[in-house]
Amino acid sequence: MSLFRHIRSLNALQILRPGRRHLSTASLQYDQDPQPLFTDAETQSLLQSMTQLQLDKVFRKRTVPDNSTEMKFMTPDQLEKEFVQAIEKARHLLQMPPIVKVKVDTERLISKDAALKDFASTKYVFTDITYGLPQSERKVVVRESDGTLAYANLETVKRMNQLYFPLEGRKSYIPRMFTDEELLKSALDTHKYEFILDRATVQYEPYEPEFHNILSRVFEHLNESKQFDLLRSTRHFGPMAFFYAWHRCIDDLLYDMIRRDYLHNAAELIALSYKIHKIPLDYRSTLEQISALRSTPAEKALEDLRNSIQAPEERQRVGGIEQEIHLAIGKTENDFASDEICLKFIEQYIASEHALKKVQLELAIQTLKEVNLEKLQLFKGLKKAHGVNVN
Amino acid sequence: MLPMARSILNGLVQITRSSRGAAFHTSSLMGCKAADTESNNTGDNADTDADATESSTQSSVPDVNDRTKVIPVESSIRYLKSAAYKQTYGDGFVWSQYRRNHKGMYAPRKTRKTCIRQGKISTGNPCPICRDEYLVLDHRNTELIDQFISPHSGEVLSYSKTGLCQKSHLRLLVAVQRARDYGLLTYDVPFREYDYSEYYGQPKQKQQKS
Repeated sequence: MSLFRHIRSLNALQILRPGRRHLSTASLQYDQDPQPLFTDAETQSLLQSMTQLQLDKVFRKRTVPDNSTEMKFMTPDQLEKEFVQAIEKARHLLQMPPIVKVKVDTERLISKDAALKDFASTKYVFTDITYGLPQSERKVVVRESDGTLAYANLETVKRMNQLYFPLEGRKSYIPRMFTDEELLKSALDTHKYEFILDRATVQYEPYEPEFHNILSRVFEHLNESKQFDLLRSTRHFGPMAFFYAWHRCIDDLLYDMIRRDYLHNAAELIALSYKIHKIPLDYRSTLEQISALRSTPAEKALEDLRNSIQAPEERQRVGGIEQEIHLAIGKTENDFASDEICLKFIEQYIASEHALKKVQLELAIQTLKEVNLEKLQLFKGLKKAHGVNVN
Repeated sequence: MLPMARSILNGLVQITRSSRGAAFHTSSLMGCKAADTESNNTGDNADTDADATESSTQSSVPDVNDRTKVIPVESSIRYLKSAAYKQTYGDGFVWSQYRRNHKGMYAPRKTRKTCIRQGKISTGNPCPICRDEYLVLDHRNTELIDQFISPHSGEVLSYSKTGLCQKSHLRLLVAVQRARDYGLLTYDVPFREYDYSEYYGQPKQKQQKS
């Protein structure tokens, strides 16, 4: 009998092991608890602003069994309400997965009843399946066959939770993609970043070491392939920016942001890294100036929505020629002003010892400056030609 | 010397290619005339004995209905990218040109159980997968599997639409499941909503207090 049990336990070990053995660990891991810095209100607002809100990307057509659309006639008031709701929904869809430290499994013994030894040949798992309890508070205890009663380990708790309250999309076994090094590598090489991250969020809990490992692997690979735009306006962009800022490798992301003319995002990223590493440079005043000049992503998206339903004639009647010019150039006066502040801030960063890829960044800044100058001249010329006063 | 050799090689390659393409055609179109094609083959062999390459390729494919030879997935993947495939199916799907044979107005609810019995095609109108032996259903063959997945709902298309026999359809389902498990085939993962208080409830309260 005991021989059987021994063989069974050996088998169980063999089943458990291969997954962890094959997947190599990422080189960059959070060394401290990142949670307090991540949940900080300022950090969150910075990350949200960096993520942006592109409605086309958030509400892209998903291939789910039911993706029917509904058509309605609405009054302008109803439409306005619907717009606000849509933005709210989009913000909900961009909810960032929490970044918490790895939870360490601790053994918590309740009692040891030697009298119950060999009462049964298997373990008994007791789960509290009260309706409406949050997962973390659900009590799961295990009666071992040698009579000890103890709280179950994290893995058992997760399995019991999945058994009684299944999470949609989570598999009871770990997908091969996450256990086989080759498969994960091929998925990374084909730039399926969002898919991997989405799947990892569903499959793992945020405090699991595997989750941290996979996230690090993806972000490291992304930093080399530089396809940051794939994650922009998804829920994973914030954690990614936070990861780079934490590990002092923001330069590639910064370069990408400058090249795509997201200067305010670049400034926010630098501010975030200053904040995380407690670099004694004043970034708050710059951020305040920028936020005064710029609207938040949600406000901007709402504005775009409102503009999108206006007919061209109506738009001209409401906003006048000035708005037409703004649309043609893609920037307003405030944008130009905020760009100037951002540029100053970014140049200060490049000149400091914190920047690693100085030459590349400087070149990018230089080209952007030239493009911006041309745009500004065109902007002023257009305004003058149409008789709109330029400040 | 070198250009001559190259031109000869090119000619040979072309001959083999065209004969392979023809073989695909016969396998897909003339499945019903098993006896006829067999007699034709022997006749051809007798006629074109002089043409060495032609006869050798034909003798290697003695029976178009024979499906005992196992085709590796790699060659199937290569086939899907080849000119022969393009010539056979064009830009459409593998199943889009297929029509089921049935009496009366309405097709039976289910397709046939299998097209291949005892290593041979046992029907005159084999299903889109069975009629072409170079279409191998496997999780690595994502290009083929993709053709059977709805771009709108992300589900595997029904056999009533694709006309696959039940055996092939089961194989397809397995291949799709595996490809998704292996991460070779992407799909839209359900959105997971996080309750933040579950992960960092305590510190937030502290922050609010302070």
